[in-house]
Amino acid sequence: MFKYIVKKLLMMIPMLFLISIIVYFSLNLTGIDPINFMVSPEVLSANQDNVEALRESLGLNDPLIVQYFRWLGNCLQGDLGYSFDGTPISSLIADRLPYTFELAGYSLILSAVIGIGIGIISAIRQNGIIDYIGRVLAVLGQAVPQFLVGIILIQIFSIKLGWFPSGNRISPDATSPLADAFFHLFLPVLTLTIGMVAVLMRYARNTMLDVLNSDYIKTARSKGIPEWKVYLKHGFRNAMKPVLVILVFRIPMLVGGSVVIETVFSYPGIGLTMTNAITSMDYPVVLITTLIIAAAMLICSFMVDVLNALLDPRVRLGE
Amino acid sequence: MSNNGSAVSIKEQNKSAASSLMKKNIRKFMNNRLALFGLIVIVVMTVACVAGAIVGVDYNTPNPTILKQAPSSEHIFGTDTIGRDLFARVLYGGCYSILIGVFCSVLSSVIGAVLGAIAGYFGGKVDSLIIRISEIFQAFPQLVLVMMLVALMNKRGLGNLLFIFVVTGWMTTFRMVRNEFMSLKTETYVKVCEAFGMSKSSIMFKQILPNVMSPIIVSTTTNVAFFILQEAALSFIGLGVADSTPTWGNILNAAKSVSVVTNQWWIWVFPGLAISLFVLAINFFGDGLRDVLDPKQQ
Amino acid sequence: MKKISKLAALLLAMVLLVTSFAGCGGGSKDTKDTQAANESGSSAPAASDAASDGSLKLAITTGDGSSTDDKIPTPWYNRQMATNLMFRSLLIADSSLEKTEPDLAEVAVSEDGMTYTVTMKDGLKWSDGEDLTTDDVIFSIETALKTATINSIYTAAFSNIKEMKADGNVLTISMTTPYASMMSVLSQFAILPKHCLESADPLSLDSDPFWQSPVCSGMFCLDELKKGNYFTLKLNEYYEGTAPKITKVTVYFVTDFITAAQAGNVDYVYGNDAGLVEELGKMENFTSNEVDVLFYKYLIFNMKGADGNENEAMQSLEVRKALVEAIDRATLAGLYPNATVLNSGVPDDHEAYNGFSYTFDAEKAKADIAASGYDMSRTLKICYYNNDQTSIDLINMIVYYLEQAGLKVEATLSNDGTTDLFTTRDYDIGFKGKSSFSIDEWYTEYMSTDALFKNIFGGDTTFDETIARLSAATETAERDEVLKELQGMEQEYLYKVPLFTVGTYVFTSSNVKVPDGVTFCNPLYSCDLDFANWELAN
Repeated sequence: MFKYIVKKLLMMIPMLFLISIIVYFSLNLTGIDPINFMVSPEVLSANQDNVEALRESLGLNDPLIVQYFRWLGNCLQGDLGYSFDGTPISSLIADRLPYTFELAGYSLILSAVIGIGIGIISAIRQNGIIDYIGRVLAVLGQAVPQFLVGIILIQIFSIKLGWFPSGNRISPDATSPLADAFFHLFLPVLTLTIGMVAVLMRYARNTMLDVLNSDYIKTARSKGIPEWKVYLKHGFRNAMKPVLVILVFRIPMLVGGSVVIETVFSYPGIGLTMTNAITSMDYPVVLITTLIIAAAMLICSFMVDVLNALLDPRVRLGE
Repeated sequence: MSNNGSAVSIKEQNKSAASSLMKKNIRKFMNNRLALFGLIVIVVMTVACVAGAIVGVDYNTPNPTILKQAPSSEHIFGTDTIGRDLFARVLYGGCYSILIGVFCSVLSSVIGAVLGAIAGYFGGKVDSLIIRISEIFQAFPQLVLVMMLVALMNKRGLGNLLFIFVVTGWMTTFRMVRNEFMSLKTETYVKVCEAFGMSKSSIMFKQILPNVMSPIIVSTTTNVAFFILQEAALSFIGLGVADSTPTWGNILNAAKSVSVVTNQWWIWVFPGLAISLFVLAINFFGDGLRDVLDPKQQ
Repeated sequence: MKKISKLAALLLAMVLLVTSFAGCGGGSKDTKDTQAANESGSSAPAASDAASDGSLKLAITTGDGSSTDDKIPTPWYNRQMATNLMFRSLLIADSSLEKTEPDLAEVAVSEDGMTYTVTMKDGLKWSDGEDLTTDDVIFSIETALKTATINSIYTAAFSNIKEMKADGNVLTISMTTPYASMMSVLSQFAILPKHCLESADPLSLDSDPFWQSPVCSGMFCLDELKKGNYFTLKLNEYYEGTAPKITKVTVYFVTDFITAAQAGNVDYVYGNDAGLVEELGKMENFTSNEVDVLFYKYLIFNMKGADGNENEAMQSLEVRKALVEAIDRATLAGLYPNATVLNSGVPDDHEAYNGFSYTFDAEKAKADIAASGYDMSRTLKICYYNNDQTSIDLINMIVYYLEQAGLKVEATLSNDGTTDLFTTRDYDIGFKGKSSFSIDEWYTEYMSTDALFKNIFGGDTTFDETIARLSAATETAERDEVLKELQGMEQEYLYKVPLFTVGTYVFTSSNVKVPDGVTFCNPLYSCDLDFANWELAN
């Protein structure tokens, strides 16, 4: 098991390397001159000489391969480089990544609690009120585009009712950092959760139903074990294995979702940084944010593999 | 001769057994009201959209005298910010969005199934190579891929989007098929086929694959919904199909403007409803299919 | 096997623990939420809370990519309210941006327009206590010519400077040629502290760490910067003028002005987007002020590069004329809140307007284009780069009009509008917007030396001499004469199709009392708004 985990972890390094090469070279293949984005067209016309000097100082005139290895070497030494507008990317990441972790983390926890909770209740009380409401909500949450949910929530809760701020993460006149965090996170977390809950709920319900219909639950019941204990000890524990896998597998989708949601809520996380970097073709930032997201995805898929191996011996033997 | 005759009769027996199973499944499906509702909505919406496109509804003519008009008998969904008929646009947009959904999910399932079959059946180095490739694709943020393609081809075409969705969409099916193949290839009937000297491709695609078809069909169905939503999200951050192509996502894009959201509800509610209803229907339909096809649930 | 199942059990137990904790935490948070919601719901809406904390609320938009949300935007590119409060210029302009008053200095110009004498005010200090001297002025002007991110009005003006000599608090600037709008330019140009920026790379000055904790010359200076969220301004204790009545300013980084205004996060907003003007116009707590601004919206024909690489299809003047005829500019103008159709760089109500106008005639356009020999099976390509709904609507309308004339048309949203025209030379027409400081800026685009437009108009030298005369013209009558000449030329050559100018609006909320008699100017430039007498309403 240990060897398997180490091997999987080591495999991530060449993968990240490969991804960095692909992104680096295709970004350059696009042939778009970053200078055009750093300097306004009106300025380009006025100071051609300065622009040429700027290009030189950024090393944009060197051969691509030289640029790549210089960049990689710097990255490995912990120097992530500078965005085209001059901010050190490491500080950019240090500023933004925690915000996104916060957003994605709370959404994950909240959707896990709500999704799995409702899923299990609706499995136990099949065709009950909670089951119906839960299923309808789940399906609706999955059907309405996430950004539209966000826009509607802003309209209702921050503009009509004025309960929550419409964007950003910190306000200057907050009474306590905790309340500030809560007010700013509530709507974006809710939006992301609505999308996530649906999937988890359906999964939890289905696996719980499978488990409850299985022989050993019937056996447990026939032994006279109290009903709640049957659900909790035997049902829940067994049903959670596949749900856990799904939960981990959904993390990348959460990251993807937060890119859109951060734009809707002008939430200063890594997703917004990335979207802005993409539209302004800020290569260095796009590169690093891509690698971060790629690493996150790889770690998640690694965790899924490990979980699968832990839970299902067949898969592990197949490896 | 008699041998031959009995073989035919067994085949026929199989056929009649299959058709009775089919009948049973159809009955089961019909009894699932939600799934039936889903199917009806899908069919009605698709037919309406295609019919609208064939009849040639005018989705493209702006009319400056009727900007932002609320729904009326003349324009049942109202008009948009430059006076185009929204009903026609939603119909036309449906063709594009449904095309995007269906095309991408089918193609990505095919790719995923083929690669999954190869990886699962051969195992070893082939398997780990394909797994690595899939992981690389999976690790790529879709957003970056879209942007790179947009920049490379210098336009936000429909083709770009289809290509990206297929390229980034095959991995889930791949994983599922591969895992199924890994466990199925140890089954006796596969060993028997191998012993008979059947070609590897016919074992893979004719013998094993049919046993994995049900989950593939189910996931293909639900992927249609996923791609339609994805198209809308990409349009929202400005990386979807060019604005002149009226996909549902592009029409819904009007919701970016706060004044449209507050004052002209019909401009975003109708395309929003179209997307949601269609996705909803697909999900119901997919659930129904799973109930029918998934042997674990039977 | 046993080990694994134990491990799994442990893992599950941990997840359970975490989720149950989160459950409890979530629960208690929920109760807090309802309490808080009740409080704010019953006592007062968010907006009035904002006023009571005694802070003027401004917003900087990051949505259009012109500024980022992790530093103070440089005042050398756009001048905005927030940075105007922090950085002063030598002179201060009135709302027309043409008449100037002394601010940091008094400036006198010699008869021949060749010498400017700048006399600095006494006792000027930076917010860190250092003296503000002629050294800072010389440094700023010299650096402006070296930096990359700067409004071209400064570089265009300062490149005519021959030399600068300081003597005590008097600075003498001598010119190589007279430059008519020098005084207006000096009223916009923010002076920056030499002692802080001396060692910074002048090229990328706008991204120096200085902008995270700037040293200021204005009434206010930075108090706190929360990247991605907001920054606050406090009074500058070294400011020598009248202290303002407002003592605290909060500037939010927002992606959308309308949402910020509706959520009560901003007291001063500006814009020309139809949606913004309509929405804010409807809000009772906002007062609307129409501002006289030269914001051009226009089309440019992609002619040829200085390298001779030309776009054949657009070379024929008949084709270009027919295309203009096909577009109903009056209807297009209707998409904007207050747009006035243009027929040249000079607005129709300007005294120098030469009276010519393009007419819309769909039938004639169709006939003309057919007669011009244009290949009708060819796809005409339009490129645009504004992503707001109104621009998209406008482009869709243009496409429609051209299709009515029998053409095949394709419009593409480009990442970089103007340069795409000549880097690919794939597009025939580009759609552009330009917030102009003066009419001159419209015409300098025709110069063969313009590094950008020489690649689009082929480095045609026809306009050069006339434009040079415009820059040097100091008398109104002389200017008008040259302007008339230029209009005739641009209408004859038809490289640019002026569509209309759009009206810009400034909105102030009821949280702020603007003193009587204040006229707002172009919100991307700086002028005297009597800010010292602005008050917060309570």
